[in-house]
Amino acid sequence: MLLLAPLLTLTAPSNDAYAEPQTLGFVVTKWNTAMHETRFMDECPEGPTPGNWEIWESTVTPEERRSYPEALITQVRHVNYRGPNGEDICAEPTSVVDPPLKIVEGKYSYGIDLDNNEDGQATPKTCTHKNFAGLNGENGIDNQMYRLMGCVEAWRSYGHIESNANSHRVSSGLGMILMEVTGVDDLLNDDSVKVIFYRGVGSFTLDSKGEVLPFASYEIDHENGEPRYNDMVSGKIVDGVLKTVAADVHIPHYGNYQYLRQLIQDMQVDMELPTESGKTSGMVYGYYGVEQFYSYVRGMLTSFPNRHKFSCPPIYVAAHELADGHPDPESGECTTLSSAFKFNAVRAFINHPEPEKLASTSDSSGALAINRR
Amino acid sequence: MSVSIFLPPKISMLTMIGACLICLSACEPSEPITEGPPPDVRRLTEDQYRNIISDVFGASIVVGGRFDTPVRTEGLQAVGARNATVTAAALSQYDEMARSISRQVMSGPSRQFMAPCAATGQVEFDEHCTTQLVTKIGRLLFRRPMTDREISDRVGVVRETTQRLNDFSEGLSTGLASLLVSPQFLFVADVVEDDPNESNALRLNAFSKATRLSFFLWNRSPDKRLLEAAESGELHSEDSLESHVERMMASPLLKAGVRAFFTDLLEFSEFDFLEKDSLIYPAFGAGAVRDAQEQTLRTITDHVITKNRDYRDLFTTRDTFMTSTLGMVYRVQVKARPGTWEPYQFASDDPRIGIQGHLSFLALNSHPGRSSPTLRGKAIRNMLLCQQVPDPPPDVDFSGFNDPNSPSKTARERLTAHSTSAACAGCHRITDPIGLALEKFDGAGQFRQTENDALIDTSGDLDGIAYTDSAGLGLALHDNPATTKCLINRLYAYGSGNNLSSRNEWMAYLEDRFSADGYRIMSLMKRISASKTFYAVSAPDMSGQTIETAAVQ
Repeated sequence: MLLLAPLLTLTAPSNDAYAEPQTLGFVVTKWNTAMHETRFMDECPEGPTPGNWEIWESTVTPEERRSYPEALITQVRHVNYRGPNGEDICAEPTSVVDPPLKIVEGKYSYGIDLDNNEDGQATPKTCTHKNFAGLNGENGIDNQMYRLMGCVEAWRSYGHIESNANSHRVSSGLGMILMEVTGVDDLLNDDSVKVIFYRGVGSFTLDSKGEVLPFASYEIDHENGEPRYNDMVSGKIVDGVLKTVAADVHIPHYGNYQYLRQLIQDMQVDMELPTESGKTSGMVYGYYGVEQFYSYVRGMLTSFPNRHKFSCPPIYVAAHELADGHPDPESGECTTLSSAFKFNAVRAFINHPEPEKLASTSDSSGALAINRR
Repeated sequence: MSVSIFLPPKISMLTMIGACLICLSACEPSEPITEGPPPDVRRLTEDQYRNIISDVFGASIVVGGRFDTPVRTEGLQAVGARNATVTAAALSQYDEMARSISRQVMSGPSRQFMAPCAATGQVEFDEHCTTQLVTKIGRLLFRRPMTDREISDRVGVVRETTQRLNDFSEGLSTGLASLLVSPQFLFVADVVEDDPNESNALRLNAFSKATRLSFFLWNRSPDKRLLEAAESGELHSEDSLESHVERMMASPLLKAGVRAFFTDLLEFSEFDFLEKDSLIYPAFGAGAVRDAQEQTLRTITDHVITKNRDYRDLFTTRDTFMTSTLGMVYRVQVKARPGTWEPYQFASDDPRIGIQGHLSFLALNSHPGRSSPTLRGKAIRNMLLCQQVPDPPPDVDFSGFNDPNSPSKTARERLTAHSTSAACAGCHRITDPIGLALEKFDGAGQFRQTENDALIDTSGDLDGIAYTDSAGLGLALHDNPATTKCLINRLYAYGSGNNLSSRNEWMAYLEDRFSADGYRIMSLMKRISASKTFYAVSAPDMSGQTIETAAVQ
């Protein structure tokens, strides 16, 4: 217990340097695809992309539409299984040819120059793509995920997909992302720290408004003492901002009733270290696998494409077309999308599995077994 | 020169130790003979009521309803209970609760308690069975055997209700409810009798003695063994009393008694009215309010009972217990699962020290949205040092203190400006230097280094002992003679309902013994509860009535 004592002093804003290296824990409270959204959706000159229902409606006559039974489930079946042989168009997105996805044509985006290439030409590690300018005028910003999904309303900040995922994560504690920054000698500037990403188990501790409270203690999801997630990256602190070097990292995810062990390649974190409030926000940059992303889209409830206005086939096609990272060695086609994610986090204490407790229980919380998927 | 002692083979070491103990005991100053106060009547506290219902009918019985607001006198509700009355509204609540409890007893698992009278569906009134049942329950609720008149009255209630409703169960239920609203249950009356050992003197009768002892140590009615000892008169013998005190001190129920005392002393009943601005202190929610009280009570019982440590160390201890909910407010790592507790020790350089550094004290003695050095200082004076600080005058001007545009950034600066008025300075001088030592804890008890970006100065002094921080305040409290005097006074008053201030000889004796016992509360409780003074009474001015009949009337 005494070892924990120095952590108390972290709340002291004037005390930036420590005699002993410190460990700072964080729990992510919100995770969103970083979308630069203008007031009148100027970045999408053709407007928002149509949903599955609208696409289907455009293919049938009013008489045909009226001939279908009114029960929604029957209608959904007609709309979702509209492949030429009744295929599920999300499971088999190439079974139909939908109108192309409306993609972002705007100039600006969140993100960084992931490929160190300002002109967007293909390199041994990338495919040709169109770069954005940063919101502060930076050149060569790579964010093909935004280009892909920025005109799909369900993915924008007011859309259902990400807000539903966030609220479900907070209310259930599923897919909880824990970050542990170790070896911190100085809160303001430290040229060498380590950052480890875990999945947490248990519930978030919320205040009366439903917001996650800082300084709660969380347990790592583990099996026989081995964390299920524990990718570690190097980093540094510059003027109170944590920056990690590019590395492949697995980040837990839960949203829209799906678990994902999401791999973000060449991932970099940029996060301001919080002071007394214990609250902060940051950005994650990196390459997100096309197949990984599409499996998430495909796995959503059958009602989602119709209710939340997106269609699987155009997303599938465009994702492959826009992929700009990690070319397949054989086909040369790129397999990942440059991406940027915004996140909020609060300070937390991270409880590691205790060896003596592992003797009696080989697993983390049995009550939270659902979290292991 | 060496001295050898020859022990005859038949004198064992145990004999020697026994002899030494006798010598030591004989060397102790004897308890001074002190006249007691007149007998009194006290209303059961809410906790006592709940404990009795749980003990008699089982823990599954839900006691709903609201109790009258307790009166606090001389720092304790237990003393205020002497002046407590039952208002019409409260009587209605007692009646509702009694009916609810009796319904639950008749319908739930506790029904077996009513057997064999309560056979389901029985219509006929059974006088023999009813008499047995009323006698049995009445003895537990009244903490003494019922008189024949009391029994026949209650049996009459059961008979009449059974006949009217044609349902024996309903009759029993009504009879039980009538016991639960009777003053003999709701009030603890000191019943006196002539003292056979001293002419023209009175003493508590054995049942009142048992009741006083039991409420003091366990905060509940006497158990079967104590009632039997009272019934046989055996409790009047010193040996018997001592053996029951020993037995009760060794019982796990002692924790309940100690918790009840400190709940009263630290004014935890005020938590029912505690409001905190959730926008300013989002972590201090209902869970923290609940756990904060429990944390302090656990710390105290662990310290004074389990570890049997010096009472004064409660103000310097870094040992406590923690839950995940509290961990967020204290900003410390907690491994215990939500809803469970783990022992915790604040680090040696942590400014949090003693129970006055607990959330329960800091948050309770603060405003909804900010800390209050004055309230905290006043609370320490009142609760822990038994020094009464008067309330502020009604015409005090707080505008300067509360001015949001004040150039004063810290509470110290604001209070300094505020206390320049002579009318205010007197009290602030004795409260603020104490409370300012705790200013690094905000209105919810969370640690902070600054207020409005200004560094907080926690220096101050307590009765001439200067300190620079909250740890220094803890040490000053530890060493202040008023700290232990106050505890003795409050503990005695809690158990007897009477203040010790007028009985200096007895107080001096207890102070001396408390010190000799290393300031162990266990020893102090034992001395008080096995003493003659604790049960002493003087003649009441009742104009020919017994106090119990007065209470009943």
